[in-house]
Amino acid sequence: MFGLSLAKRDEPLWGGQTRSVLTGVLIALVLGALLLWLNGNDPVEVYLKMAESAFGSKRAISNTLTRAVPLGLAGLAVAVAGSMGLWNIGAEGQIIAGAIAGAWVARVLPDAGGAVLIPLMLIGAVVGGGLLALLPAVARARLGVNEIITTLMLNEIILRVVRYLVNGAWKDPLSLGFPQAPALPAQAALPGLFERSNIGLLIAAAVLAAFGVYSARSKWGYELRLAGSSEKTAQYAGISLKRKIVTVLTLSGAIAGLAGGIELTGSSNRLVEGVANGWGFAGIIVAALALMRPSGVAAVAVAFGAVQVGGLAIQTTGVPSSIASILQALILFGALAAGVFSQYRLVRANSTSMAVASV
Amino acid sequence: MNEVTIVGLLVDVIAFGVLLYLAALGELVAEKAGVLNLGVEGMMAIGGVAAFWSGVQFGSPLVGLIVAGIAAGLLALVHALVAVVLGADQVVSGLALTIFGLGLSAFLGKEYVSLPPVEQFGTLPLGSLRELRIIGPILFDQPWVAWLAAALGFLTWFVLERTRVGLGLRAVGENAATADAAGQSVTVTRVAAVVVGGVLAGFSGAFLVLNLAKGWTEGVTAGRGWIAVALVIFGAWRPGRTAIGALLFGGLLALEPRLQTFGVEVSPILVSMLPYAITIGVLVVFSIQSRHRPSAAPAAIGRAYRREER
Repeated sequence: MFGLSLAKRDEPLWGGQTRSVLTGVLIALVLGALLLWLNGNDPVEVYLKMAESAFGSKRAISNTLTRAVPLGLAGLAVAVAGSMGLWNIGAEGQIIAGAIAGAWVARVLPDAGGAVLIPLMLIGAVVGGGLLALLPAVARARLGVNEIITTLMLNEIILRVVRYLVNGAWKDPLSLGFPQAPALPAQAALPGLFERSNIGLLIAAAVLAAFGVYSARSKWGYELRLAGSSEKTAQYAGISLKRKIVTVLTLSGAIAGLAGGIELTGSSNRLVEGVANGWGFAGIIVAALALMRPSGVAAVAVAFGAVQVGGLAIQTTGVPSSIASILQALILFGALAAGVFSQYRLVRANSTSMAVASV
Repeated sequence: MNEVTIVGLLVDVIAFGVLLYLAALGELVAEKAGVLNLGVEGMMAIGGVAAFWSGVQFGSPLVGLIVAGIAAGLLALVHALVAVVLGADQVVSGLALTIFGLGLSAFLGKEYVSLPPVEQFGTLPLGSLRELRIIGPILFDQPWVAWLAAALGFLTWFVLERTRVGLGLRAVGENAATADAAGQSVTVTRVAAVVVGGVLAGFSGAFLVLNLAKGWTEGVTAGRGWIAVALVIFGAWRPGRTAIGALLFGGLLALEPRLQTFGVEVSPILVSMLPYAITIGVLVVFSIQSRHRPSAAPAAIGRAYRREER
């Protein structure tokens, strides 16, 4: 189009994905500033206030990290599947499933001590998230059913399950019509670390680190990436693709489920419809920006946590908090574009015919 | 159950069917060209807020429809640029488009929340036809957008199946390299299909906000965009079958708030799961069938095309 086309660079541009993401951030900040300015706000003032509320104090950092926990786990969930070339679009639903399962454990064992109850709730959450991913996993492995659509549909289904529960069977009789489950027993709250942060932060960091090391060093991780880059090569190497699809997608769901469990026991303190809060969808962006690498997921999750905390903080100044969603999406679009341009360059269309001829 | 309640139900079945059909038709066009766009929810939201803004400014639903189409078409252009022209991943780009569209519509629409409704799409001057018993209100008393949706459905079928433009579009969606070699511009075709898809999603959003929700609220789309994505699969990428699916899923949406008055002891929340559950079932059946015959899905869907990498 326009007499221009893309031709592959001999060498990708320096800086790799970090450079692309930072370019994306820059593009998002500029476009966001334009939107804020059109809205009658001072963009610099808004950005400074966002940054201050995300990093300016111990409490601010705690808020940012608290949001980075579900973002990081959801991002890891998507990344684990993504490194095999599978799309788990269902992290949002698996977070909900994890929270439902965790809340169910607390309903069954209301008198158990915290040292028993909390681990059981988190295990329940892992199982719940994994079970929700099992159907798309088996359908994909056995029948070749596209996992993008099945995981997407299951999001909407499980959202209605939790809506049904908090409006009906599990509704708190004391909530005065507000759709929510009763508060968890006091001993079910995750022990705190500092300010609003609790040991959920340590659990998430440990899970991310474990996966980072394991997938980089183990045969399992190597086979995963091999299967992701070429199914045929993986089959020649004797890797059972079907089994791998089932384990990887289920594991992916289990990690997202853990995010739901931590959210339930660490933050929301009761089952509510909005327990997943868009983190599952944001996790897809996080994983994409991190190119499906656990270390990158952690960094992007903290950055997105900061954007979200900043978005909530500037509501008081009359700027809609939706600026946070806008910025997150713009970062992705900018980074996707920058990523393409680090591999390709614009050339006049007629010179590509040479490139084609030489291939 | 008397005649009035049944007629009321069927009027809503058509209305919700139209809402879903417009968005699904747009997604169908994009997917036929080989581009999955998971941004439907976001494009509908942008269309909705644009239509409401236009209603406040100009008061004309027709202008609202056009403004909504342009706004959502422009949003779709972002997906077209990122996922088609630059060839980035369609799944990620589409989901980001939903997040972007929902965020931007909430940002732009913050002053419109809980404002009184603006002028709706009216009916066609069909005179005494509208007074016919039962079929009068169900068919002839519908807003003209319903007729537009039917016409667009027919037009889409005609263009896809009976014209060179449609042949080229389908070729791009089945095998981009072959279509390219035959002189069809893959990029132009796909960009156009994605933008047309956006315009139709915008129409759907306008109809939602003006006639069904009768106002703007954040999150007014409430997952209907995902139903539209599901419908394309349910309809096996065919405009006619998608229309039947739209009426079926629209029927479920219309039934939801009425179950209790009909004396059915099932929670409406559980009924609202059915479109998604049915879609999973249909996908499974398709996958089993596709072992014996070719899949209905466009073969190149989800794959970026770069000439030098074919």
